[in-house]
Parts: sequence; C-alpha cells; structure tokens
Amino acid sequence: MKTSTFSTRWLVAYFLVLLVMSATAAAAEPKIPRLRSGKPDFSGIWQTTSAADYDLEPHAARKDAPPGLGIVEGNTIPYLPAALEQKKKNFEARQTDDPRLKCWTLGTPRGIYYPEPFQIFQRDRDLTIVFQFGQSVRTIHTNGTLHPEVIDNEFYLGDSRARWEGDTLLVDVKDFNDETWLDRAGNFHSTALNVVERWKLLDANTIEYKSTLEDPQVYSKPWSISVILQRHREKNFQLIEDYCYTLDYDSYYPVPVKR
Amino acid sequence: MKALILGLAVVAFSATATAQGARWETTVRKIESGPWQGARLEDDQPDIQGNWSNTIANHNNFTDPQGAIPGDPSARTRKEKPRDQRAPSRVSSTADGQVPFQPWARDAQQDLQAHLFDPTQPQYIEPLARCAPAGVPKSFMWHGWEIRQYPGYVLFLFDSGTRIIHLDGSPHPSDAIKLWNADSRGHWEGNTLVVDVANNNGKARFARTGEFDSENAKIVERYVFDNDGQHFNYVATITDPTVYTEPWTTTIPARRYSEKDAPDEWHFDVSAANRPGKPLLYENHERICVENNGPFGQVAVTSRK
Repeated sequence: MKTSTFSTRWLVAYFLVLLVMSATAAAAEPKIPRLRSGKPDFSGIWQTTSAADYDLEPHAARKDAPPGLGIVEGNTIPYLPAALEQKKKNFEARQTDDPRLKCWTLGTPRGIYYPEPFQIFQRDRDLTIVFQFGQSVRTIHTNGTLHPEVIDNEFYLGDSRARWEGDTLLVDVKDFNDETWLDRAGNFHSTALNVVERWKLLDANTIEYKSTLEDPQVYSKPWSISVILQRHREKNFQLIEDYCYTLDYDSYYPVPVKR
Repeated sequence: MKALILGLAVVAFSATATAQGARWETTVRKIESGPWQGARLEDDQPDIQGNWSNTIANHNNFTDPQGAIPGDPSARTRKEKPRDQRAPSRVSSTADGQVPFQPWARDAQQDLQAHLFDPTQPQYIEPLARCAPAGVPKSFMWHGWEIRQYPGYVLFLFDSGTRIIHLDGSPHPSDAIKLWNADSRGHWEGNTLVVDVANNNGKARFARTGEFDSENAKIVERYVFDNDGQHFNYVATITDPTVYTEPWTTTIPARRYSEKDAPDEWHFDVSAANRPGKPLLYENHERICVENNGPFGQVAVTSRK
C-alpha cells in the first residue's frame, strides 16, 4: 500500500516535468500542421475578424462601415495624384459601384480579407482556394511553373506562382484585369498590379497573411498590408455556396410543385 | 426585355460552339462496380484526379442526347442519324428512356421546352444561360471539369460551379438550407465513389429540354471508375415523390483528358504551363461567368479607365 503511494507520487512528478518540458518546447517552436513532404499545411477554413474589407485604411465608424484601425503599413495608400482623385470618386460612388455588389469575383488580395470564409485545399503541387463568396476558385501553383509568357491582363484573381522560403509561402501574383476593387471604400488598382504575398502559420489555427502591392500606374511606391486569419473550428463547420449573383433572378425557379 | 434577349443570345452561341468542338461517342461503355486496382493516394482513395468530360453530348437534349432540341429554329448543318444510331437516352432505368414525370410535371417540362427559343417569361430562360451553377446532374453535361482530391474530400471544379464532396462522415446541414449544387457526402466502395446529395434547391434544369426536379429531391450518385483509369460512368438515382411517379436513374459516361489529348474549348479548355525544358503539362485557368455574361442589363466589362 505504502509502496504504491510512493511510486504514484513519482509518476505524478515525472509527468509534471514532462508537461513543463513540452510547454517550453511549444513556446519556442509552435507546432503547425505539415504535409507528408514536411511543408506547412494550410488546409482548412479561414476568415479574418478584421474590418479590412470595409476600408483598408484607418477609419472611424460611418453608416456603411464599422470602425477599423486599418491594415496598411504606414496607414495611407501612396496614390499618385490622378489615382487619388479616382479613389475619391470611387468612395463617393461606393454604394453603387463596388463590384462586390454584383457578386463578381473579389480579386486578390480582397478575397482573403473579405468577411466570408474560404477553404484551402493543399497538395504538394498547388494550393486551391475556394471562396464561399461566389464559389470562385484560385489556384496557387507550387510546382515550379512560371507565369504565362503572354500576359494579357485577363484574370480577376491574377496568376499565382509560389515558392517556399522556409515555412513561409511566397506567392507572386500578376496578370490582373482592372475590374476589381480592393475594398468597399473604393481603393483600386490597374492591370499593372503585382501582388507579392507571404503566408505563414503562426500556430495551428492562425495564419499571418502579408502582401505588398506594386502598381506604378496607380501608386507612387509599393505598399503593404498585414492581416490575421483564424481557422474555423466550430463543429461541422463548412462552406455554404454563395452564388449571390443568382439572387436577382432565383425567384423564377424552381418549377412550382403542384400537389 | 434586354435580359431576355441576352439569355437567348447565350443559348444560341452555346449551341454553335458545341457543334464545332465536339467529339462524341454513340454508345455507353459498361463499367461494373468492384475492387479498385489502380493507383491510390496517400489517404488510400483511388487516385482519379485530373481533367474529365462526358462522351456523348452536351445538355441540349436530355433523353435524346444527340438529337436536336425540339423546336430549334436554327438550321441544322448536319443530317441527323436515325435514332438507333444516336446515343441512348440518359434515363437508363425506364423502358421508354423518358423521365417518369407525374402528369402536371410532364406538362411543365413540355412548356419549358416549347419556350426555350421563345422565352416570353423569365422562368423560361434556362438558368445556366444566366451563369447559375449547372447543378446536379447537368454539370456533367456542360464542358469538361477537373477533379482534385485531398484527405477527406473530392473537389469538382466545373465550368460553371464548384462541388465539395465531404468524405468524413459528417452530416448534411439543416434541411432549411437549399443550394444550387446541393450538399454532398460521399464514401468510396472499391472503384465507386458513392455520394448522397441533399439540400438541393431544385432550380437547376437537367437540359435545354426542360427536365427538372424539386427541392424535395434526394439523389444518390455512383461514380463508377474503370480500372483503366480513363473512364467513369456517372450513375445517379433521383427520388422525388412530388415530381415523379417512381425513382429513376440517369447514366452519363465520361472519359479522362490528359497531355495525350489536344486541348479544345469544350472538353479540355487548358493551356500549357510555362516550364521551359520540362515535359508538357496542361493547367486550367480561372473560370468566371457572370462577369462576362451580364443578366439584367449588366454590361460585360466596364469601360476602360
């Protein structure tokens, strides 16, 4: 009886030491999910809690937007003078001209911080992002392929080619059209846009997403944004298709059932 | 009014494009369910990733896939072969190859078919012409598609719409949620992917001939893959006591497209990846539709700034 109590105490002490050790290790090197290949595994359903889509720049509350500290490094987007005038016009017309209102593909990077979830599916050769909004699909190639030789400015989401820099996924995105806005406040870009993204898992359930936007036709210098994405961990959480562009006509369907 | 005209224009354009780009077979290969002998993925799923397209026809005519759309006013450029030399009906469970509609539903289908080229009411416009997802089962009759697989998922990337098949045994969402592409829960039985389809909004039509189901439809899909890795049959049983007199089955045959095939704009709309010095690799590009279609008077692309 006495022996048993003694060994139980030792056992408890042993596990306490183990617990402290593993906690220390975890603090030093957060455990992140990995593919069999060893690369970080971004698979999952993600969403920002920020107000970035309402306005990338810092803004107080207004009727059409909750307040936000902004996600632009240095707070202000460095527009060229003519582009700044266009941005102001866009802002005034934002209740009607935002392409989001037509449910068009949101673009890159807007889809990432839009307030609806997206799901990442990952293989060694690529990452596939399915956005709940419009169910648009973006492929980020990680198979060593290059941008197309002919750039014809036709893509809403751009053409994404990526490589790994340690555990950070570095994505070069170009070949954009100029149909998308960056947020609901009318921030915009031209077909010359080049987005360089940095995706990093801070821990198993958090992605740090940073990107730098360069567009010599619109901005006086490159500028950067940074946003945190949270993993959806609700039980049985899933994307629900949001083909919102059908909402204007879907009342004409289906054929009414006659009983 | 403008919307109706645009809808018509899309129907006419699609019919032309199909006639040009098609390579069609007239028979349906028999593929039995059984063990899978082909390659497998890390999570043990049969590896059926890649590009696929159906082998008999587009969605012009559901029950006579290589026949004309009844009432089509456009002149046919080729002489139609006799019925027994055209592909069989996609309805594979009934003796007459027709959908076993209840009388009211047969009347409704005939009415939709009669007005396809004369859409005097908004509901006569085939929703796909407005860029709505092609839905179940029409997505498999509308351009080629890509399958990607992941632990716990099969992902279908269609020309119009996306389907995520969940393999983890989780339940369908609440019946209150109705979706164009429904909700899909699947599992593998040897060479066959079995998918239970619920939460269907019943809005997508099966074809330009007006066949339809309702939001009460329950569908069990069986994707039976040939061990040659090059073919599968899509075999779906649709149960909807509010529209049909009995459950019925549709069969849609499909084949793989790969680097051995020449790209075309209908079955295999891909382009060569840029990777100098390495073997040919085809990849799919971004798919958009509403942005270039514009129901209800939207212009295709806004004017250049």
